[in-house]
Formats: sequence, structure tokens, C-alpha cells
Amino acid sequence: MKFLSLTALALVLLSIEAVVVKSFGFDVTRIDVSVAIIVFIGLRGTTIEGAFTSFAVGYLLDVLTGRSTNLYPFLAVLVFLIAKATAQLVDGRSRIAFAIFTAGATFGHSLLAFLFTWLTSRSGEGRVLTLSGVPLQVLLSALAAALLYPILQKIEPGERPKPGVLQ
Amino acid sequence: MFSFLQRWREPIIVVALLIAPMVSFLSSGHRGREPNMVDSVVLAVSRPIQVALTWSFSKVTGAVSGYIALRGAHDEAQVCRSQLAESHAELNTLKEAEAENLRLKRALGYTETTTEPEILARIIGVNASPQSQSVRIDRGERDGVRVGMPVVTPDGVVGQIIRSVGSSADVMLLTDTASRIGALVERTRVRGSVAGAGDGHQLALEFVRREDDLVDNDVVLTSGTDGVFPRGLRIGTVQSVNRPTVGMFLGGRVSPTVDIDRVEEVLIIPIVRVSTAERREGVR
Repeated sequence: MKFLSLTALALVLLSIEAVVVKSFGFDVTRIDVSVAIIVFIGLRGTTIEGAFTSFAVGYLLDVLTGRSTNLYPFLAVLVFLIAKATAQLVDGRSRIAFAIFTAGATFGHSLLAFLFTWLTSRSGEGRVLTLSGVPLQVLLSALAAALLYPILQKIEPGERPKPGVLQ
Repeated sequence: MFSFLQRWREPIIVVALLIAPMVSFLSSGHRGREPNMVDSVVLAVSRPIQVALTWSFSKVTGAVSGYIALRGAHDEAQVCRSQLAESHAELNTLKEAEAENLRLKRALGYTETTTEPEILARIIGVNASPQSQSVRIDRGERDGVRVGMPVVTPDGVVGQIIRSVGSSADVMLLTDTASRIGALVERTRVRGSVAGAGDGHQLALEFVRREDDLVDNDVVLTSGTDGVFPRGLRIGTVQSVNRPTVGMFLGGRVSPTVDIDRVEEVLIIPIVRVSTAERREGVR
């Protein structure tokens, strides 16, 4: 159920993002709403459920990039695993912590997406310029994560983990 | 074996979900794949949301800008009237030239392309990754849109169709780093190639010979040699010319004629390329 809810939410948010980005005329900046969902499930979900949800969200992102390459499902599962591992050390359940987590994940996700695309394409020099949008992208994604927090919390309220390192 | 799978079920599933797309991407996926049934469903579901949101946004911004534009509308109308009269005169001259051109082409048996009426489409969204500079339009396979068709506005080139599914399609913008367009400088007829610079709003002029004449503000047109775009469409204006101390070619920055951020509607040219054999038949 959570899998379906989060996947459906991702599809709606990605569709909205496409229109918002066009309306505001961002050139190489996007709002990584998909990363916010992946981070959320990484912080709160179980491993299997989270891996499948991340894969599905990454797949949606891949389809909606206009040129499906299967890169984004891989990056989504990777980001989920990193978020899950980090959640063992740091509690990221508050709204602010979630926004900070999302900002970090967006930064990593953007760099990895650039790196893999750069490695497998001929136009390497030009691709470097696509990184110019990353700082604004990180900021907007963190903001989106803070706004989405109440909706995501309704889908997966989550319980507080037992106290551990840095928690 | 069964107990092993049961014991390591979780890690095996996670690793499979991680490795499978990566292998697919590294092996052949990075070139892009054909849309499958799941892709079509995803695109069909997201289309109405994007169409509705685009419509709402354009209505709101239209109402606001319409109100603001009322100021000075009379003066603007006067200017528009005089421009329209000039355009009518120009159109008549062009019609005569076109008729003559067609007559001469028929006389020569020259049939490089056949064109049908352009397909008008509305942009309903920007695609989700900055690594792929593309937009989504509300016309697709059902409306006769096919992969490879050129997309333009009256101002110039916008891009090329890279995916067409059901009732939507994706257009790779000319600002994408993977985009290459055969180009021609209007003033000197010098040939080159135009590629996306990567920053989302500039183009790079490539493969222009060092000895060729190229200066700032030169207008760059499509040369028609790339097999996609018809000859003579506006691409952009040269902003700067870079003459390296070594090498065969000079480079240049080109600013696109079309303001990509503000384009709302585009025209798809349904060009049907005639094969060499068919062309020979035509000549005979």
C-alpha cells in the first residue's frame, strides 16, 4: 500500500515539477522531488519495501526524462541504501533534518547523474555546464522536501528508533 | 540452496534491484531505449496532469499580463498595423518567389522532400533531468508525430522529436549537448555545425574552417545537410568568435533565435524524406 501511495505521489509530483520548472524558466535546474521521496523511505521504510519503492520512483524519473536510459532506477536504489545506512547513525525524522538530508542526497544524486552521463557520452565538455544549476537545485529540493513533509508523514508516520550513535 | 536463498533473500533482492539497471545502462541503455508498455502507461497518466496544470498556469499568467498589457495597447496596435502592412507586401513577394521555385524544381525533377501541413503542439512540461534538455508536447504518435521530425516556431529552430508515444511526444531542444544541426552562415554561406553548449541557453558553432569569414552578429541558418532540418530555418545569432592559435577550426557562441524558456506552442514539420532510389525514379 505504501509502495503504491509513494509511487503514485511521485508520478503526480514529477508531473507538477515539469510544469513548474517550465513556468519559471529554469534552464538546467530541476526540483528533485523524487529524491525527497527516496530519502523519506530510506529514513523510515523497511529495506525490501524501500528498495522496491526507490526503484519504482527512479523508473518514473527515468521515463519522464524524455530519454530512458535505466540510469535513474540504479541511482534511486543507491541513494536509498545510503540514506538507510545514514539513518542508522543520525536521526533524520524531523522536518528540518529531512530537508537537510534531501539537500545532501540531491547534491550526490546530481553529481552521480552527471558523472555517469559524462562517462558514457561524447559531449563531455558541454555536460560540465549542466552542473551550474546544482546549487539552486539543492536549495529548491530541500524547500520542496520541507513542504512535502506533512504529506509524506501521513503515508508513513514511522516510529522513533531506539537511541543509538548520535541520536 | 532453498535455505540459502531464504536466508539471503533481502540482500539478493536489493542487489538485483541495484545491479540490473546499472548493467543495462552501461551495456546499451545509455543510448536510450524504445518506450515499452509501462512507459506508455506512465506517460499517458502524467499527460492530463501536465495539460491541466499548463492550462491553469497560462490562464493565470495570461490574465495578469493581459491586464498589464492594456496600458499602451493603442500605441502598440498602431505599430502592429504598420508592421502588418509591410508583412503583407513581403508575403506577396515571397509567394511569387515560392511559385517560381516550385516551377523550377518541377522542371528539374527535384523532389528532395515532401511536406504535409505542420502539426501545431503545445509544450506541457520540461523533462525531469538537466542532463537531457528536452520538453514534452501534447501531440504524439496518434497525431502523426514521428521520431526525427523537426520542431520549429516562426522564429526558428526549437529541436527534434526523440520519442513519440500515444498522445504526447518529447522534443530534444537544440540546447541539448547531444543535439547537432547542420548550419550555414547567412552572410557568407560558410558551413559548420551547431551543438548545445550545455548551459541550457547557448549554442556552440563548430567545424568552421579557420580561414572562413565569421564575425559577431552573423545570422546562422540550417544548411539542410543533416537529414533532419529543412534548409534556411533560423538557428541563432553569433555572439562571439573564438580563434584558437592552433587547430583547423574556429569556434563560436551562438544565441538561439527562439527564446526556449518562453515558447508555448511549436510546429512539427512532418517531413517525409525521399530515399535516393525514389529520387532517381523521380528524375527519370
